[in-house]
Amino acid sequence: MKILIVEDEKELSQSICAYLNNEQYFCESAYDYHAALEKILLYDYACVILDISLPGGNGMDLLKQLRSIDKMDGVIIVSARNSIDDKVKGLLAGADDYLTKPFHLPELAARVSAIIRRKSFDGKNLVRFDNIELDLHEKVLKVNNIPVELTKKEYELLLYFISNKNRVVAKNAIAIHLWGDSFDISDNYDFIYTHIKNLRRKLVQSGALDYIKSVYGMGYKFSMS
Amino acid sequence: MKLFTRYNRANLIANIIIFLIASVAFYFALRFILIKQIDEDLEIEHDEIVEYVQKHDQLPESFSVSDQVILFTPVKQEVHPGYSWAALQQKNEEEPEEFRRFLFQVKAGGKSYKAEISKSFEGSNSLMRSILFITVSAIFVILIVSVILNRYLLKKLWKPFYVTLEAVRNFHIGKGDLMMLPSTYIEEFQLMNETLKEVTQSSRVEYLSLKTFSENASHEIQTPIAVIRSKLDLLIQDEQLTQGQGTLVQSAYNAIDKLSRLNRSLLLLAKIENHQFDNRGEVLLYDKVKEKILDFKELWQSRSITVDISLKESIVQMNPELADILLNNLFSNATGHNYNGGNISVNLAPGSLTISNTSKEAMLDPKKLFQRFYRPSFDNHHNGLGLSIIKQIAEVSGITIDYRYINQHHHFNVKWNSNQG
Repeated sequence: MKILIVEDEKELSQSICAYLNNEQYFCESAYDYHAALEKILLYDYACVILDISLPGGNGMDLLKQLRSIDKMDGVIIVSARNSIDDKVKGLLAGADDYLTKPFHLPELAARVSAIIRRKSFDGKNLVRFDNIELDLHEKVLKVNNIPVELTKKEYELLLYFISNKNRVVAKNAIAIHLWGDSFDISDNYDFIYTHIKNLRRKLVQSGALDYIKSVYGMGYKFSMS
Repeated sequence: MKLFTRYNRANLIANIIIFLIASVAFYFALRFILIKQIDEDLEIEHDEIVEYVQKHDQLPESFSVSDQVILFTPVKQEVHPGYSWAALQQKNEEEPEEFRRFLFQVKAGGKSYKAEISKSFEGSNSLMRSILFITVSAIFVILIVSVILNRYLLKKLWKPFYVTLEAVRNFHIGKGDLMMLPSTYIEEFQLMNETLKEVTQSSRVEYLSLKTFSENASHEIQTPIAVIRSKLDLLIQDEQLTQGQGTLVQSAYNAIDKLSRLNRSLLLLAKIENHQFDNRGEVLLYDKVKEKILDFKELWQSRSITVDISLKESIVQMNPELADILLNNLFSNATGHNYNGGNISVNLAPGSLTISNTSKEAMLDPKKLFQRFYRPSFDNHHNGLGLSIIKQIAEVSGITIDYRYINQHHHFNVKWNSNQG
């Protein structure tokens, strides 16, 4: 699946590309309005990561162009503007999601995979990993087809991990994903540990493997091995 | 005191004083003139008598009319001529009347006489009284008319001023509409309106450029933060990373998070101050608080914080986005400053929301509490903006926030008029 990154800040664009590029995704970059427009018109993308302020034009216009020619590429706006107005405008113009800078790459990855899931499996909102299965509609976890009860945060955490499988995700990123960026609690993210501990216990008790590994105390990795 | 009340008062007092002095001066001037007049008449009479005596060497026939009496009395000694006053009883009158008298000596037929000519001053007195009466009544009428006229005229004259004042009062620098100022023929008011228009226009331009600048600055900072964050997110994917490097990365992450939050909070404060959240709506606090409690529940459980909740239906008129930020900050505050195994209580009633929490902190200084970057102790986990955001939101939303410290609990109480709207 191809993903287009429309972002004029090359360093950020490269980071996104490096993080998203894996066996599933293939990234392309456009650094200005015209390059982006050309690519959008020529190719189909599973998802377009779109910055609003671009050299040579506005990301919103790009979005409108895209929708006007009935292209159904998923679009996520990444913008430094963080007001309800801007978000509403973006979503009304046909964006699927709106993410405010500065974001964590795992957050972007989770949002991108959510958009792609919605676009490609119409109605079938199931996420599988090994022998566990998340029903996104019902928000339930099944391990070997047996439902496992999770709290709201544990469910969100598991989905987040699966969207970022085989990657190390920082505690800070997890905290922001679960509680939001305005959540000024402390810079000691140990409280996340409790959620992770409970989630691991529930997974192992229901017969799944222990997928979550702590990495140097600064983050976690969700993987098979 | 209103300008024209003040003006009228000063005007009236000055007028009364001037008129009083003028009346007294007028009275004396009039009296002086009338006396002079009568003295001249007496002088003429005297001249006539002297002429007659010189011609005939005998006294003229003494005749008296009602307001003039001439008397000759033989005297031996010398008589000093001069004017004096005398009260004479007239026929048909009860009271003695005031007379002006001129005394002199005449010699006729070898005899010396004291001659006195008296002229009644009563006629002059009544003339003086009439003139004074007319003058004083005229002054009185002038005073009353001027007060009424001033009041009416001033009110009418100052009307453009009050209209302008109202327009200035309703002027909002953050709102786009231009100030509507009344057109007026009065030069001073025209000048004032023009100046006001210029000042508001230029301050609006400055305000807009400052607003754009601060917003742009904050937004520009977001991008480098995003780059640093993304590089860190990539860096930790490196499997060669050592434990020590991991700790370094963690510190960098924390600093970046703090910077990001700080920037966001400052941007939010600027936006609130710029009244960018002015549209209000009905916020169903019962549902909102319940939602927040659900959000925080697991966090509280993980830190063994006990929670007492008492919720009643409650509605507040404010911007919904601000209401959300307010609740978020109140809950974060109560949670973040708490200790493991502590307590939080949430009490929502119509017109009032109280959130209390235990904390390692002792009583906070209520004067400094809501200041920006106020940190009670060496705790630097927090950016010190949370409470000033709460305060700012309360101010623009017309609600009050106060702080009390009772029984080791920090109480933050938000109050609003539950009957509004």
